[in-house]
Amino acid sequence: MKALVVDDEPLARRELRRMLDAFPAVQVVGEAGNVDEARVRIEELSPDVVFLDIQMPGGTGFDLLTQLDRVPRIVFTTAYDQYAVKAFDVNALDYLLKPIEPERLATTLRKILATPPHAATDAPLEQLFIRDGPRCWFVPLREVSVFTSEGNYVRLLWGKERPLLGRSLAALEVKLDPKRFFRANRSQIVNLEFIEQVELGAGGRLHVQMRDGPEIEVSRRQARLFRARATVG
Amino acid sequence: MIFASQPWSKASALWGPVSLAGVGLTHLLRWLIRRHGWLSLPPFALLGRVIAATLLIATASYLLTQALSQAVYGTPVAPITAAFYHRLSSSGQLRNLFIIILGVHAAWVAIYLAFAVLRHRHQTELRQAQLGKALQTAELRLLKSQLNPHFLFNALNGLRSLIADEPARARDAVTHLARTLRYSLASGDEDLLSLERELEMVDDYLALESMRLADRLRVERDIAPESRTARIPAMLLQTLVENAIKHGIAALKPGGTVRITAQVVEKELILRVVNPRPDDTTNKTSQGVGLRNATERLRLLFGSRASLRLDLSQDGQATAEVRLPV
Repeated sequence: MKALVVDDEPLARRELRRMLDAFPAVQVVGEAGNVDEARVRIEELSPDVVFLDIQMPGGTGFDLLTQLDRVPRIVFTTAYDQYAVKAFDVNALDYLLKPIEPERLATTLRKILATPPHAATDAPLEQLFIRDGPRCWFVPLREVSVFTSEGNYVRLLWGKERPLLGRSLAALEVKLDPKRFFRANRSQIVNLEFIEQVELGAGGRLHVQMRDGPEIEVSRRQARLFRARATVG
Repeated sequence: MIFASQPWSKASALWGPVSLAGVGLTHLLRWLIRRHGWLSLPPFALLGRVIAATLLIATASYLLTQALSQAVYGTPVAPITAAFYHRLSSSGQLRNLFIIILGVHAAWVAIYLAFAVLRHRHQTELRQAQLGKALQTAELRLLKSQLNPHFLFNALNGLRSLIADEPARARDAVTHLARTLRYSLASGDEDLLSLERELEMVDDYLALESMRLADRLRVERDIAPESRTARIPAMLLQTLVENAIKHGIAALKPGGTVRITAQVVEKELILRVVNPRPDDTTNKTSQGVGLRNATERLRLLFGSRASLRLDLSQDGQATAEVRLPV
């Protein structure tokens, strides 16, 4: 398992590397001292797990996550920001308190090694880290019903939440699983598994009733594609 | 003479118990007032209760007087009363007797009540003054800057790393950490310490931060000799320096220089901490907490004679300035 150590303090990085030496299953493939460095390292090394400090110059660990397409397994390392980590809506995050206790590190690593590694880099996105105002989420994309373009942003319809993603619909579309998601019109992508009913509309358009409420119009051009898929699928 | 007509033994057999009963009953009233906290009641509620109680007590005394008089003299109207009001009918005599007894009791109760109310008010005021002072002390203690846990745990983490690779530096770090902690704990006992003493602590603190930040942290000092004896709130300069590092140096990738200057101008100590800062200080709110506490502490200790100002008008630079009387 490849690991990346991100911390702005050289001593902290050195200490964590030394502690990780005790686990032969983990190879530290690199380290970074700030958010920008970390992003570059993650893209070039694609580590399986990132040990991530929260307070760093030029941005926090949370800022880094929002900038990543493919978020590796994250273990936050923090001296006193555990409240910030715990405040998350998801429990998908591990954290270690500095100075790190060897037993806690062993427990965390066991847990990570027991879960299957992330898919290959060219596989479709499965989850996104989204920060909208003060709130953060790891959003599993298969739970998202509709993506709606809002200028250069994308609004997700995800259960009761409506988080805003800081990228364009076009940029997101190419990363999504084409088997699951369908571009319904210029500004919307729908999750096919959330479709409850399809009705014919005027001029060759389709009206799609989503399971969680909204009715989406499929443009004429896309409707042809949709029918083709429906007959094949 | 009226008194000549009656033997003293009979008079005392009547008026002795009546006086005792009066004292006992008013004492019972006093107990009631204290027990049920009547003095804390609104004025009319207190008055109503006391008037009712006084009427009851007076009635009891009156009935007792009649009964004893009957037993001693064989008539409900004691001879002294009869002699006093010899021109009235016996019912008129009794009515006047009741009025006299009521008047005596009412006067007695009124005197007691006036005294008790005054004392109660005095005690309340005293308690409130003490409470206010305690509150201020507690506030001051709360505002006293303590070491930031973030700093503490990061220092320990760095120390853990040094132990294996550089034991000599690790030993130094333990000394710095111990001195920083000791100073921080002792600062709870005294409000004001000399700038000299505070500077020693800041040096220990900076040594620990240098361990973490390595060459990203540089420090310059310009301390005028006459300012060293000035007395400042404990941990004040430390708060300014910690702020400069947290929001300035640590937030910048290349780090930077913290400049600490102190001078005395016209009986006023001017302390300045200058540091570079990122252009977009997004977390302006968190920057406020430590400094706001320090400002409040200065206000409690010096009133309007001291001030703390954070100047962010220059791009990429922050200047914290404290002025206080020497």
